[in-house]
Amino acid sequence: MIEVRNLEKVYKNDAVETPALNGVSFKIKQGEFVAIMGPSGSGKSTLMHIMGFLDRPTSGVYRFEGKSIDELTDDELARIRNKRMGFVFQSFNLLPRTTVFDNVRLPLIYSGFKKEEEEERVKKAIEEVGLSHRINFYPNQLSGGEQQRVAIARALVNNPSVIFADDPSRNLDSKSGKVIMALLQELNDRGHTVVLVTHERYTSEHAKRIIRLADGKIVSDEDVRQRRFAKDEKELIK
Amino acid sequence: MKFSDSLKTAIGALKTNKTRSFLAMLGIVIGIAAVIVMLSLGQGVQNVVLSQIETMGHNIAFILPGGTKQEKGLPQFSLGMTQIKTLKTSDAKALKKEAFYIKETTPLVFGPAILDYKGKQRKCDFVGTLSNFQEVRGNKILEGRFFALEEEKSMQKVAVIGKTVKEKLFGSEKVVGETLKINRRTFRIIGAIEVEGMKDPMFDPNDRVFIPLSVAQKQMLGIDYLNVILIQAKSANTLDIAVQEAESILRQRHRIKNQTEDDFTILSQEYVASTFNLIGGILTVFLSCVAAISLVVGGIGIMNIMLVSVTERTREIGLRKAVGARKKDILLQFLLETISLTTLGGITGILLGVLGSYLGGIVIGKVLDLEWQFTLSLISIVLAFGVATLIGLIFGIYPAKKAAELSPIEALRYE
Repeated sequence: MIEVRNLEKVYKNDAVETPALNGVSFKIKQGEFVAIMGPSGSGKSTLMHIMGFLDRPTSGVYRFEGKSIDELTDDELARIRNKRMGFVFQSFNLLPRTTVFDNVRLPLIYSGFKKEEEEERVKKAIEEVGLSHRINFYPNQLSGGEQQRVAIARALVNNPSVIFADDPSRNLDSKSGKVIMALLQELNDRGHTVVLVTHERYTSEHAKRIIRLADGKIVSDEDVRQRRFAKDEKELIK
Repeated sequence: MKFSDSLKTAIGALKTNKTRSFLAMLGIVIGIAAVIVMLSLGQGVQNVVLSQIETMGHNIAFILPGGTKQEKGLPQFSLGMTQIKTLKTSDAKALKKEAFYIKETTPLVFGPAILDYKGKQRKCDFVGTLSNFQEVRGNKILEGRFFALEEEKSMQKVAVIGKTVKEKLFGSEKVVGETLKINRRTFRIIGAIEVEGMKDPMFDPNDRVFIPLSVAQKQMLGIDYLNVILIQAKSANTLDIAVQEAESILRQRHRIKNQTEDDFTILSQEYVASTFNLIGGILTVFLSCVAAISLVVGGIGIMNIMLVSVTERTREIGLRKAVGARKKDILLQFLLETISLTTLGGITGILLGVLGSYLGGIVIGKVLDLEWQFTLSLISIVLAFGVATLIGLIFGIYPAKKAAELSPIEALRYE
């Protein structure tokens, strides 16, 4: 469903060219859980932005569900982001002074569903992340872990085929981080493709496959032999 | 994105920053309120003056000595006390005789008067005229009668006093038969009248005494010319033709070839009203321009606030784009936010303006002792509302475009 071939990205800033991606190629199939790992500056965030249709490559091919990014207008990209992709960010990016319900509903206001359908989807997504009791809370009334779970619910609400998670546990304590990883694994088990970007080896080992990046190039691309299961660890801690 | 959602988002954003929204709105509020007050008070003043001009009578015009020089504009004379000697009694007679549509002509002269009634003195004006002044103006007789043709012809020293003079000098006493000294000459009072006319603190048509024209010209002033000729047309509809007749007759009599050389000016109610309307119109345009400038300034203030808001909410914009907002969704959101702001400001301004017009009318009415009619044109309100919305649109477009053009990753990265 995701095909990346010879992808290059060069940032131009005041006539200074900074290469971020330098010929990256791989494929991701439906239902995979891929971690893209690398130190900061390795180009992993740039890669995720391109895969998430948030940015365009300088050269190379990127196909998502058979559609090439070069053939799509900005509005079409926005529509695919809305319907087929979900995003979870490091810093949660919830709207302040907006309830959990309305935060989760945000993607739906650009989808054109009927009100009843919207409400049903929002409630279901919130239930899936286990925050039904916080539905009318505001972000500042929630813990970091809860906020990130709201963000996951928001990513889920349109039932996307792929979820892009940009180091979702980075700003959380280890316990909350595990809850988040457990949620992502659960979503993957239910058929969502998950692409996780992280700089931590430990976090990446929750995925099924790890693509290691350094200086804009793939260093290794292999399956995880001893996969961690956040759910079990969580119970161990308890 | 549904419109109702956009509107809800926009209003929600304004609510989260109430103080700032209010302050941003203030410029528009003041501008709109100023426009409404200006238009309302301007209209009110116009109504007051026009209603007083109406009291001149529909079929009456005034001929004054001295030309206007220009086609339109204000005549170059000072009402009443002019030294221009071109208008003669013979002109008045000729006009009545020769003009078909002129029913009656009444010559008038004015002079300063010091009245003395049993030691009580009063400074006012005297008016010398003919007996037909009463018929032409249709004044209300309070007591006695107006003087007759014979009394004028035989230069009898009789006087008819105006209502104000009567009240100030005589109070509620009877005046007929009393003697009154006007500039040390003794007159016999034969009546008191109330003249309908402009009620104005500077000029009271009832603070006068009326005496025969012959007495005024020969004994009081020593002149042979007139200050005003009143002409009465046969009907209100024929006033225009009557004025034209008067013009051509006077030009012929005064040997004037070109109308720009006219040595007289004819004022009809219509002319005075149109002159006043012209002044009023210029003033309204002028004040509206000032108010419009304040609206533009208000609009710039709002644009500034919206630009700050866009910068502050860069991350929000990035997030919205990431979850599927298109450019036009973001554009609409911020545009609606600005328009909501200015429209709300417009409504507040209209309410404030209506209140201000009402209170302003009361104050003007009290200070100038006028019967003020509170007027409010629906057009000005609709216009103000439209302008407020338009300002939101014009000054909202730039910040909204800026927001919509933001690239999602730049926006998300923004700290």
